[in-house]
Amino acid sequence: MSDADFPVQALKLTKTYRLGFFLNKHITALNGLDFSVPRGSVFGLLGPNGAGKSTTIKLLLNLVTPSSGQARLFGQSPTEHSVRRRLGFVPENPAPYNYLTGREFMSLSGRLANLSGHELDQQIAKLLGEVDLSRAANVQVRRYSKGMVQRLVLAQALLGAPELLILDEPTSGLDPIGRRQIRDLILAQREKGTTILFCTHIIPDVEAVCDQLVILVGGRKITEGPVASLLGSGGEVELIVENIAESELAFAASTLKRVERRFVFRVPEADSMRVVGEVLQKGGRLVQLNPVRLGVEEVFLQAVRDAGHTVGSESST
Amino acid sequence: MNGFFALAWNGFREARRNRVTTVVAAFAMLLLVSSSLVTQVTVHTLDRVLTDFGLSTMAILLIGLAVFLSCGLIPQEIERKTIFLVVSRPMSRSRFLLSRLTGNLISLFALQGAMTLVFFFELWLYKSPLTSAIVASLIGLMAELLVITSVGFLFSTFSSQLVSALITVGIVFAGHLAGDVYRLADKSPSGFVKFVGQASYYLVPNLDRMNFRDQAALALDVPMGAVASSVALALGYSAVLIVIATLIFEKRDFR
Repeated sequence: MSDADFPVQALKLTKTYRLGFFLNKHITALNGLDFSVPRGSVFGLLGPNGAGKSTTIKLLLNLVTPSSGQARLFGQSPTEHSVRRRLGFVPENPAPYNYLTGREFMSLSGRLANLSGHELDQQIAKLLGEVDLSRAANVQVRRYSKGMVQRLVLAQALLGAPELLILDEPTSGLDPIGRRQIRDLILAQREKGTTILFCTHIIPDVEAVCDQLVILVGGRKITEGPVASLLGSGGEVELIVENIAESELAFAASTLKRVERRFVFRVPEADSMRVVGEVLQKGGRLVQLNPVRLGVEEVFLQAVRDAGHTVGSESST
Repeated sequence: MNGFFALAWNGFREARRNRVTTVVAAFAMLLLVSSSLVTQVTVHTLDRVLTDFGLSTMAILLIGLAVFLSCGLIPQEIERKTIFLVVSRPMSRSRFLLSRLTGNLISLFALQGAMTLVFFFELWLYKSPLTSAIVASLIGLMAELLVITSVGFLFSTFSSQLVSALITVGIVFAGHLAGDVYRLADKSPSGFVKFVGQASYYLVPNLDRMNFRDQAALALDVPMGAVASSVALALGYSAVLIVIATLIFEKRDFR
């Protein structure tokens, strides 16, 4: 596969910030990150706060310079103007010039993207309509709600029909309706074949829109792969049985739950057939047998644990 | 260049919609008009007082505004992250900086133009002469605003708004006193004091060379060569500052 097949590549990307009055404190925000975003995919960067997600995005956009390694956009350095013509960007908690109206802000953004004239006017009208801001187009941005600002910034990112969208926490701080609107806009872009790099710590958003995923913790990549395979079997099956005494199911006591006349429990996938045989032998009836699928949240929490970090109540024990 | 002019024009639009600029503009107009009151307590030196009051009002308010606008612009862009939306576009950081500087200067010069019209109206009203020294002092003020804006921009590329403003205000005072410091230091028996005096004279912009307000008030002639050399000094000094600002800004991380 060529560079053109991967609009975004991080190659051993490392960023160390020098802090303090004498710049003698070193904080490694990102450590040797490697990943490639295939063309046309929605690629998620997931991680807790401080994982290095925003630093990765800033490195990809030349907002910060790498300490070592390389960021590549369409096979070129992000410092090249030509590659930045092909992308749209939504930063975390964006703050457009609030003295401008929505239309004026779009016009300014369009001119910065080298658009002008009738073509720009047409795109502005179309995009403001798509993000449901046509009626607020002539209102100053300072009067917009957070959701409206987010949609406006997404609309400016779509000016010039970019091949690549880089979205840094686009749904952060939004109410459920606002999140849904942004997610729908992202999904619409996916349908059009736009490559999307989507950085978030909101797990349901990843499940809803991403094809592939990298999980970052403490500046390091913990796991990577297609979302479908990461959510694959957890190596267990869940059984629902009835017509059997609870004492007969002592082997599954740790996961056993009683739901009216039925029992629900989990066993390792390898033991499933043997357990089903025993249940039937003891006069029980098998109601359901389902492979246990992990959610992104479980994958994520497991990855964080694997990285040696504590999760939730674990930190207090 | 489409993006450059769009951003420069946006800077002017920002200043127009900025409450501080609006209040300063309104206050300046009020002060200029109120020079009518000053004339009531003047007997024989009406022209001098009118000119002095008008030019000083313009200079003080515009220099204050130049410090406020130039020192606040870049730190605010970074703090609010609006800069991310611009520099992620196909626009180099140096062009961004130059377009913001241009927008700032357009705002200041437009305000100076408006104030000049009110000032000229006052002169016409009281039949005071419009001398070449007044025109020279207005050109000198433009040069001074260019230098102060460049100083503010330079410091704001790597420090906070407050620090930039403090340093820029310090340089404005030092720039107006540079000649005096040089002359005083020259009389000192200490070689070190002489060196410091000379070094500060050549390091800080000599803003006094751009100040023809005293000559205007006293209706003295200002040689064209002096005006031309002060403009050349301002352009050269500003060019050096802008190049340094650009070099720093190109390397800066936006955390």
